[in-house]
Formats: sequence, structure tokens, C-alpha cells
Amino acid sequence: MQLGGTNEYSWIINIAFFAFIMLFSLYGAKFQMWQWLKQIEMGLAEMKRMFVESRQTAIDTFKDYGKSEEDIAKDLDKWMDYFTIMPVDLDPAGILKRLDHLLDERRDRFQEFVADLAPESNISMNQNLENTLEVTQVLGLIYRVVRHFYILGKKTGSQIMIMQIQMQMPDLLRLAKAYYDAIGAFSEGKPIGDGIGPLIVTKFARAYGATPESYNHEISREVGYYVVESEGRTVYALRATGPGGTVGKPGFGVQRLVEKNKNKIARIITIDAALKFEGEELGRVSEGTGAAIGDPGPEKHAIEQTATENGIGIEAIVVKEDEAAAVGIMDKKILDAVPEVLERIKESILKRTKPGDSIILAGIGNTIGIGL
Amino acid sequence: MGVVSKILGVALAGVGFVTLFYGMSTTDALSFLWSFMGLIIMSLGFALITGGRQAEKKPPPPTVTEIRCGSCDFKEIRDFKKGDYVLMPVEDMCPKCQSSMTIEGVYIVREEPEAKYNV
Repeated sequence: MQLGGTNEYSWIINIAFFAFIMLFSLYGAKFQMWQWLKQIEMGLAEMKRMFVESRQTAIDTFKDYGKSEEDIAKDLDKWMDYFTIMPVDLDPAGILKRLDHLLDERRDRFQEFVADLAPESNISMNQNLENTLEVTQVLGLIYRVVRHFYILGKKTGSQIMIMQIQMQMPDLLRLAKAYYDAIGAFSEGKPIGDGIGPLIVTKFARAYGATPESYNHEISREVGYYVVESEGRTVYALRATGPGGTVGKPGFGVQRLVEKNKNKIARIITIDAALKFEGEELGRVSEGTGAAIGDPGPEKHAIEQTATENGIGIEAIVVKEDEAAAVGIMDKKILDAVPEVLERIKESILKRTKPGDSIILAGIGNTIGIGL
Repeated sequence: MGVVSKILGVALAGVGFVTLFYGMSTTDALSFLWSFMGLIIMSLGFALITGGRQAEKKPPPPTVTEIRCGSCDFKEIRDFKKGDYVLMPVEDMCPKCQSSMTIEGVYIVREEPEAKYNV
């Protein structure tokens, strides 16, 4: 017998060939679904591992502050699905005020929970514990959402649902891994990439004689400022209070500073970390117009509103980072961007303000591991 | 082991290819069997070439604390200790000029080079 030839056994090959065509035209999609489901399962297993390990890290961190492992595990699991309901947007009037109120309320509940779970901790450590908790919660949420769509897709046999998760899986895993790698930074109080804004502002203020003692606390929630004289201008260098992990409410801080110094502020400069495009260098410095602040809305609105109402020039200088670098331990390349940003701040002050003007320099970001 | 299995994979794929074509060209009674065997040997070869151990997970780079003297150019880099934070005054004095020192950075240095794209 020769393959492709005709002889008494060639019908076996023909049947096998047609059976193959029939099988794949009728059940090809099923095979593919099965393959996708297996890939999702593998991703889910990885997500579960990351969530379980970060939960354990959170428990190990909390247990140093006065409660037993069992009590912490029980309370932590209760807290894992804590949610915030976004305000109704059918009537958008006043939505930012309502959102701000809800975010304050949420923050209060987080602080209350952490204080209950770590009674022997101090304020600074409480902030780090809050961050640790939030990272664990994010990982739990990613895992639960993906699992939900996986089970739902399997139950309903919905090809489009399964296909979407399978296609988004690499991105979801990347996000989960970024948070998973970051948990060590939060639990040990190490500075993260997102903290570059407050760090630059503090370094700027220190270069002009500011000290931790000259920091004015609580212009807004967990935010304060230094007042320094630079190049004949008065600079209000504003940042969240560290070295505990908090972003505070710098937008409202800027608003209050403008109200306190009516008609004196000539410029608002915001310094923040910004997401880089793939292909861009980590730690690249960029500048532009607007308020560089990545809050859900109220803070950014406060800065824009106050700048518009008072005719204040507003600009932003950002340090480019990817998601993993922003939530992970600060990379040397990000730290190396500090001198260039300081140079650009100085250039902006000299070029766009006059001697005698007042300027707000706002460092936006998480202050974990960054002292005053 | 990785290189050995790849070489073995190439050899097996080659043997399988020859066997498959031998089966396809011969007219003897076992030609079908030869072709089938050739396919199996080839698949094994390809499996060895493409399959490999997953890249070993590297431990994360160590976090270091950079301490600098406020007066001279003295700089010290040591492992991060719990409680360190950026701009924290250090108790030890500068060994060079006996001035106070501050933690100027807490960071990691990633070793892997960033992928380059010709675009």
C-alpha cells in the first residue's frame, strides 16, 4: 500500500480523512472552548495563588500588632468583599461632592477596621496596613471577577464570554502580578514608584531650607505643606504626610491654599507619576498642561475649578512608570529622575512667574516610606 | 539538559521525517505502519524541541538603602532595614567628616535589560 495511491485499503484513509473534516467542522468550536477554558483555569490558579499568599502576608503583618492569627484571618475574610457603591450619575449635578463624601466614608471605615485589627500599631504603620489590606483586596477582587466569568461562561456555554476572558487573561495576570509583587513594599513600609511626586516636592523644599518641623500639617485630610522662598518667589510645597502610606486629599489642599492666599497664587505645578507607554523609558520626565492627579474625580476637579476661577496657570511634570513600577518598590531609574524634575521646576518658576509671586508645588502620590 | 533534549529533539524529528517519507514512497505491506511511526517519532521530536522547562523564577532584587552625608560626598549603600524611610536622619555620623547623614533613597535595581524593539 502506498499513501495517496489507490488500492484495496485506500478506503480506510478516505474514511479517516472525511471523519477528520466532519469532526472539526462540527466540534471545532468545542475543542477551542475546551482549550480556552484550560488556559483560563491555569490563569485562575495563578491568581488564586497570588491572592492566598498576599492574604497570608497581610495576616503575618497584622499579627505583630496585638491580635491573634485566627482573629485576624476571620476579620480579614469578612473585609475582603467590602464594596463602595458609586453615586448615581443619572442626575450628574453635585456628583463629585457625593463621590467625595462616599470616598471619605470608605476611608473612615478602612481606618476603623485597621485600628480594630491592629490595636497596638501607630498612625504611620496603620496607613501602611491600610495599603496592605487594599492590595490584598484588589487581588481577591481580580480573582473573584475572573472566576465568576469563567464559571458563568462554562455554565451557559457562552463562547463570547469565555473568549473575552481568555483574551484578557495576559493583561489581568500582569496587573495581578504587579500588585502581588507590591505587597512586600506595603507591608514593610518601603517607598513605591508612585511616591516620586511627594519625594520631589520634599527634596525641593529641603533644598531651600525646609525641615520636618517647618511642615504645616492638615491643610486638608493627611496633607500639609512647607513654605519656602525660591528665586524671589514664595513656594507652597504641598504633599501628603508620610512616611506612612497615604495619598491624602491634595486637590482640596491646593484649593484651600488658594483660598488662604487670595489673589497671590500665580501658578500651580503638580508633580506625579504617570503611566508610560510601552516602548518608553522608565523614569522619563514629561511635562504638560493640567492637573496631574489620578484620583476618581473630586481632587482633580478641585484643582481645575480653583485654577479656572482664579485665573491661575496650571502645569504638570510627570515621571513615566509602568503599573508594576508605580505600585512596586521604587526603582533606581525612577529615583534618578529627581534631579531633572527639580531642574524643570526651577525653569518653570523662573520662566513663568515673576519675583514676588506665590506658587503652589503639589507632589501627588503615595507617601509610603517617604519622610517629611 | 536543555540543550541535550533540543539536540535529541532535532535528531528524532529528522528520523521521523525520513521514516514518514520512506513509508510514503515504498509499496511494501508495512508502508502504512512506517508512515504512522514516522509521524509519531516526528511529533516526539518536535515536542522535545518546543517543550522546555519554564524559566526559573528569579528572586526579586534586594532593596537597598542609600545613605549620604549632608556635608561631603560620602555615600553608603546597605541592605534595607525595617523602619528605614527616605529622608530619615541616620544616627551614625559620617566617617569622613563627622557630619549628620540622611537616607537619600530606598530602591531596587532591576538587572534584566529592557527588550529593544526596532520601531
